[in-house]
Amino acid sequence: MNQQNGMQLPKLPDADWAYTVLSDLKRVVREYATAATESTCPDVRKMFTDLTNSSLQMQGDLYNAMQSANMYDTSSPVLRQEIQKQIQTYTQTQQQTQQFIGQRLSGLNPTQPFMAQPMGQQQSDAPLYN
Amino acid sequence: MLQPISGKELEYIADSMSNEDLLMKQCACAATSISDAGVSQLLSQMVTTHGQNYSTLMNALNQHQSLAPTSPQN
Repeated sequence: MNQQNGMQLPKLPDADWAYTVLSDLKRVVREYATAATESTCPDVRKMFTDLTNSSLQMQGDLYNAMQSANMYDTSSPVLRQEIQKQIQTYTQTQQQTQQFIGQRLSGLNPTQPFMAQPMGQQQSDAPLYN
Repeated sequence: MLQPISGKELEYIADSMSNEDLLMKQCACAATSISDAGVSQLLSQMVTTHGQNYSTLMNALNQHQSLAPTSPQN
């Protein structure tokens, strides 16, 4: 019943077809990365890491092919002052953090040195993650 | 040395197999619907890669099957 009165139903445009695959690849990359971080077996973690890379590669290849076929609009370049604003903000953040770390590690509080937890001793109140 | 997998890992593997299965079919349909030769060719190559990914996941299940306990542990 796809055809009625000799009229053909419209085809899904090429760009939309390609985009459904592209967006699924983007989702799968995220899911593989999450699976890798949640894995406990080293071989399973490695498998998910390899699958993340394989999917990321395919997503990049498809994106490039779509761009060459004019199926994808690249977003317009950001203004220079927008970048400058971020540089300013994060230069300040970096300085404050360096100061914080410097004070934290310089032994301002020698009775409680950084990472002073005894080795090999398990804390009873340590939470269990799974 | 292989270790037994957790329930969470099994869920991720099974979900991933559903994803790869869907992508294989999706790429096959897209490859035959799209008229642009470059994109169409790439999509048909991707059918193979998704098939390989599916096999990788299936192999992982097969390898871990024998290590899995048959009754609940603790």
